[in-house]
Amino acid sequence: MTSPLKVLTANDLAGGQVVFLSETGWSDRYADAWIFEDPAAADAALDAARAATLTLADPYLIDVAAVDGLPVPTSYRERIRALGPTIHPDMGPQAEGGALVEALQQAKGAARSSGRLGLIRRK
Amino acid sequence: MLIRLENDHFHLVEDRFAPVGEGEAIADTVAVILSLSRFQAEGEALLAAGRDVGVRMAPADRVEDLICDLPRLALVALDFPKYRDGRAYSSAVMLRETYGFDGEVRAVGDVLIDQAWNMVRCGFDAFETSVGPNAWAAAARRYRHVYQASADHRPPAFVERSQAARRLAAQEG
Amino acid sequence: MFQYDAIDAAMVADRNAEFRDQVSRRLSGELTEDQFKPLRLMNGLYLQLHSYMLRVAIPYGALSSAKMRALAHVARRWDRGYGHFTTRQNIQFHWIKLSDTPDVLDYLATAELHAIQTSGNCIRNTTSDPFAGAAAEEVDDPRVWSEVIRQWSTFHPEFTYLPRKFKIAVTASPRDRTAARAHDIGLVLRRNREGRLGFEVIVGGGMGRTPYIGATIREHLPAEHLLSYLTAILRVYNRFGRRDNLYKARIKILVASLGAAEFARLADEAWEAMDRPRADLPDVELARIRASFGLVDFRTLPPRSERFEAAKGDKAFARFARNNIVPHKVPGYGIVQVSLKGIGEVPGDCTADQMEALADLAERYGHGEIRVTHEQNLVLPHVALDDAPAVHAGLAAVGLATPNINLVSDMIACPGLDYCALANARAIPIAQAISETFADPDRAEQVGELKIKISGCINACGHHHVGHIGILGVDKKGEEYYQLTLGGSGAEDAAIGHVLGPALSADRVADAIDKLVDVYLAIRQPQERFLDTYRRTGVGPFKAAVYQDAHQA
Ligand code: SF4
Repeated sequence: MTSPLKVLTANDLAGGQVVFLSETGWSDRYADAWIFEDPAAADAALDAARAATLTLADPYLIDVAAVDGLPVPTSYRERIRALGPTIHPDMGPQAEGGALVEALQQAKGAARSSGRLGLIRRK
Repeated sequence: MLIRLENDHFHLVEDRFAPVGEGEAIADTVAVILSLSRFQAEGEALLAAGRDVGVRMAPADRVEDLICDLPRLALVALDFPKYRDGRAYSSAVMLRETYGFDGEVRAVGDVLIDQAWNMVRCGFDAFETSVGPNAWAAAARRYRHVYQASADHRPPAFVERSQAARRLAAQEG
Repeated sequence: MFQYDAIDAAMVADRNAEFRDQVSRRLSGELTEDQFKPLRLMNGLYLQLHSYMLRVAIPYGALSSAKMRALAHVARRWDRGYGHFTTRQNIQFHWIKLSDTPDVLDYLATAELHAIQTSGNCIRNTTSDPFAGAAAEEVDDPRVWSEVIRQWSTFHPEFTYLPRKFKIAVTASPRDRTAARAHDIGLVLRRNREGRLGFEVIVGGGMGRTPYIGATIREHLPAEHLLSYLTAILRVYNRFGRRDNLYKARIKILVASLGAAEFARLADEAWEAMDRPRADLPDVELARIRASFGLVDFRTLPPRSERFEAAKGDKAFARFARNNIVPHKVPGYGIVQVSLKGIGEVPGDCTADQMEALADLAERYGHGEIRVTHEQNLVLPHVALDDAPAVHAGLAAVGLATPNINLVSDMIACPGLDYCALANARAIPIAQAISETFADPDRAEQVGELKIKISGCINACGHHHVGHIGILGVDKKGEEYYQLTLGGSGAEDAAIGHVLGPALSADRVADAIDKLVDVYLAIRQPQERFLDTYRRTGVGPFKAAVYQDAHQA
């Protein structure tokens, strides 16, 4: 079995907003997130984030799977966290729209318990 | 470090009590602190020999079990294995208020500055902490007023209010 | 409206100074997140799914116009223009920055508001009757006693690190609008035959994973001994409540495992051992607190208002009057309930503009008082019936005239997975879907009183256990599912609901509610509410309707 893809996330300490590690630093946009294919590299990035206690709160890794070639968190909790509150489409990263946001909004059926990482698009 | 509260004053003191760990032999210093079970087994002999004895109570130990011995105890140490475990506050209040214990009540374990005021208000007068006495004193006195009567005998807000009302009445009278 | 004196103000100022210092120590790296987290929680600041959330206490749910305007200002200046009223009569701001929090708290203090003890394992904000001072049937003003408890429990040195959070409710009416029997302690104030005030003391109610209706351990505690007796109960709980398992740490578990009689015996023993005169509040202080609430200067009016009756010619006003206005103890006045459950809206949410409009209406027509209910609505407790049409028009202008109090669309919903980091599933979209299903106000009125309560996880902030219909979000194989319970009540006829059957997927919930309501309408007898019908018939017909086509699901 191939190991799942990972994204590193946290909250900004002073502001509280959700941030993702990108190739150029921490970003408010899920679309910028660095997709780790190598679990060891992901763990190393997590350790570095834990040490960055002056700027970050609660860093952790999330599992991501490809849906039509786009990286989508496998749990609906993380999809909602990456989008913003679903009842306020104008708030959070979802406000800017685009193909990735749509993929997140439409993903369904994560397979946390079965270990499968396939996600299907909602019709 | 041991901070003592005496006459409204927090200061560093030398700890003359030797703690006795589980299964350890009792040191021959004059003053020792035993766990409750050790005290129940061996305390009588030590007291008879004229030693100063303190008892270290775990949060689940009941202060009721000490009632008969309290007059002969030099101190009761109340343990905070984690600062969030607040049972020792009730133990301290009961020692002071219910059983009138006037020996030392010592906070040991996870003793942090943010709980200094709780401890002082509940009747603790000794603190095993890495915090300095000035910082400890400032944290213990952070609040200028208190709402409840407690073991520290600070006048609660309702007493301050009625005193202020009386003063006002006296001036006007 | 209770007014702070200099001591009350100093208490809040000292706390805010302490927290400002703690925030700066965190931002400078002197405190780690692990050290800081319990400190920020004790000041009501949570880190939620998307951001920090600040929970501001509204003691016993009572607001003045000035306080409401201050909340509006916080919403606009430091948040995104709205706030969320909770089932604990508090308000939550969902987008606060940590770095702004000290300023927000200092600002709130200017309006006698704070976030003290809105989180943490301490005694939380006391729940009280939103109709206090207005309900005809109350034996005393429960706010007075709630304020007594507020002061006693604020920075209580012995009870700041309890096994778990602790919630007290005070009511002084036979109609319970506080869910007293679902609190850690419920206090029901009554007069005995000799006319003396005393509390029925109910202990060990609660929701969460193992819901309980509280047990009465004293029928009539003389009111003057309230504080010493509360101290005794809390002392027993602090000493003997479980600390090894988060889910077994509430007092309800202690009371259930000891039995109510044994718990009462321990409380009495602790009470006897106490220096009661020192623990109880002196009469002069009680009188001072009572006086600090001031008197509402009601006008002398005829019981029947011609203007009010004439305005009922307007269908919208007539409907509003029927559903949202209830009688007041003073002739010619009414209690106006303001629904925060507009069709398709987020239950409990209120925009800054709406808050200000309410503050204005309260000032102009309602003696400057506003209340928050545990059902996430607001109340203008003292409105002259003559003014009711103007109040209705003012509410309608800001979208707050939804005439659905106690009806099917007047749902409780916790923030759920749209905000809450602990959630299993979303709650708000479910409420929105149900409210759209029952958008027709004629049908809603035909259905009558029906309390639907929705929680996004077993913590039960949405009180689903005591909903006539309760809805609980669960995570089933990585999808949001919802378990329905029937037959609960949080009122004086308190009961825990029973699970209807297997959990349903999100898209089936509103339809299932529709079916439940159809069954009720088909089989109800005259005067029966949904709850009464359920109690008479049991789960059978309801279960059949929802699951008859289950094989297709
Ligand atoms: S019930 Fe659960 S999801 Fe809802 S607010 Fe409480 S903790 Fe969050």
